[in-house]
Amino acid sequence: MSILIDKSTRVVVQGITGNQGRYDTRLALDYGVNIVAGVTPGRGGEEVEGVPVFDTVAAAVAGTDANAAVLYVPVNGVCDAVTEAAEAGIGVILATTENVPRHDAVRAVAAARQADAWLVGFNTNGVISPGKCKIGGIGGDNPDALYPAGRIGVVSRSGGMSAEISMALNAAGHGVSTAVSMGGDRTTGRSMFEYLELFEADDETDAMVIYGEPGTGNEAEVAAALRANRLRKPVVALVAGRFQENHPKGVSFGHVAAMIGDDADSASAKIRLLKESGAEIASSLEEIGKALDRRLG
Amino acid sequence: MKLTEDIAKNLMRRANLPVPDGAPAETAAQAGELAAGYGGTVALKALLPTGRRGKSGLVRLVEASEAQAVSSEMFGQQTEHGPVERVYVERGAQIEEEFYLAFSFADRMPMLTISTAGGVEIEQVHSTTPERIVTIAIDPLKGLRPWEAIDLWSRAGLSGRPLADVGRLTARLWRAFVDLDAEMMEINPLALDKNGRLSMVGTMIEIDDGALGRHPELPDAPSQQPDNPRERMVNEANRANPGGDARYVELDGDIGLLVAGGGAGLLQHDMIVDLGGRPANHSDISPAPGTVKTEAVLDAVFTNPRARSLLIGYNHLQMAPVDKVVEALANAVRHNKVDTSRFPIILRLFGPREAEARALAAEIGGVTYLPPGTSLLEGARAIVEATRKVTAEKEEGAAT
Repeated sequence: MSILIDKSTRVVVQGITGNQGRYDTRLALDYGVNIVAGVTPGRGGEEVEGVPVFDTVAAAVAGTDANAAVLYVPVNGVCDAVTEAAEAGIGVILATTENVPRHDAVRAVAAARQADAWLVGFNTNGVISPGKCKIGGIGGDNPDALYPAGRIGVVSRSGGMSAEISMALNAAGHGVSTAVSMGGDRTTGRSMFEYLELFEADDETDAMVIYGEPGTGNEAEVAAALRANRLRKPVVALVAGRFQENHPKGVSFGHVAAMIGDDADSASAKIRLLKESGAEIASSLEEIGKALDRRLG
Repeated sequence: MKLTEDIAKNLMRRANLPVPDGAPAETAAQAGELAAGYGGTVALKALLPTGRRGKSGLVRLVEASEAQAVSSEMFGQQTEHGPVERVYVERGAQIEEEFYLAFSFADRMPMLTISTAGGVEIEQVHSTTPERIVTIAIDPLKGLRPWEAIDLWSRAGLSGRPLADVGRLTARLWRAFVDLDAEMMEINPLALDKNGRLSMVGTMIEIDDGALGRHPELPDAPSQQPDNPRERMVNEANRANPGGDARYVELDGDIGLLVAGGGAGLLQHDMIVDLGGRPANHSDISPAPGTVKTEAVLDAVFTNPRARSLLIGYNHLQMAPVDKVVEALANAVRHNKVDTSRFPIILRLFGPREAEARALAAEIGGVTYLPPGTSLLEGARAIVEATRKVTAEKEEGAAT
């Protein structure tokens, strides 16, 4: 197993005729992903990299049984594109776009939830189950080197950090069952805890690594779940952004979400809370492997 | 973007929402004239993009005849948001009861917070009588309907005619919150006069920066440009090249940072501080093709008088080619005439087209390109040590 995506995943690419859509499609095909359809309104009947293009997601689903969607659409089209995919019956929707306006983001999240779809993003570079499937640009032109397969689940607020964590795991003799870049915007389709719940139920995952940042309630929710014994597999946490606490509030340093505001949302507060709740804290990538070895024996 | 009160109230007025008469004044004489036009009691409010002005004397209730004299004390007053340059003059409201309402966002849901204890800061109500605050999440697909708002205010303790009026107004304010792409909207106080008329006496609105592009009706951000010329330069490069903004925030240390990819940047900054280093800035840039914004951040680092070194520390790039970053570096080193023997530059930069990037870096000369597999921590240590060395040499030089 793995979470969210595997060998049976059939991917439709919304916005396949754009530069990014076309480029990522080529790399995904090279990795062996079943990209069965593309969607660009008005371009139905064409082909991109040998993949048939449809005018709507519903037509693509009817024609190809696609069950996962990757979106490469401009920011003002994201809410509609997510809603269209969700209503067409797509189960996993990956929205790569960053800085999605708040009102659009919460509407898209609600529309996906109402249709029982799993929305990944916003501001994500993808999900990869090594050797089985990937959606999004994750892994770039060399997914095998960046994401060797193994039994550790990764959930990261940053796409770049998911690759760094995977490489650190590899250096420590571990590999990845599934790595998820869950999205760096404040609003994301699902919370960090919801991914950990999937890993908890996955019999090919032994432990989880999370990467967190200041802002949002994601890490506090994970801590609460650990305290309530809803997560029994080991959780190793790396939370960056402590330096921000030396500077005035309201200054944004990284992702949109990583803005200093509430003290409870600071990196230090999150680290303290996760530690008290039973997570292993790593303060560098090198410590992740050691923390896993402590817990997995 | 936080709107000043005159702009916020104008938008509300245009939406036919009950806002007291008022207008901005740029001089004390103008404030006096406006006040005389309203007569009776008037409110004078310093126009600054912030709430919480009551305590610092930035909101005054005076008789119309005193408005000119009192406002002349307000003009020019220094605040943390700069000097007071404009004062909002508003017809005094006759207030029987005061309520509070605010729309905001939790991570995944819009939220509505209401209280019948309006007129004071909501934090104060929260710490003394938290039971008087009611908060709900709003389903963004359904929105907030009048009967739901009425039910909520009834739970908060309202009844009778005010319940119906306040409930209906709350549902209309939800529409305005959505239509404006507001991130936050606080009405405090929402005042009820003795004739049962409602009036939005305090109105604070913050617009979602990510949605500003689709609101041409909104004015340009009022003097939100940073004072720092290098921060301003990066902002200008962003404006000239829309999409994937670069961020540059200056701090008071000596290590210049071009770090990217959000997460890896935060982590490297933490590591540098833990190792005793002091960054001269923080930056974030999306590692997309194009070198203009990268160059703008590099120009900022090279022209920052406090910066003594530069770390270019990206996460392992998965899509974007790394040689574009080195191309920007070569340009910036050349036109800023950087002496790389005295200004250490360290690169931790892996990903597509790395061989080309390494060749280009070698041409610049004096640049340390860390070998493949170097960790973020080793990169952080390298820049802290190199910076320590140049600052020690400089102090030695100054001593002899």
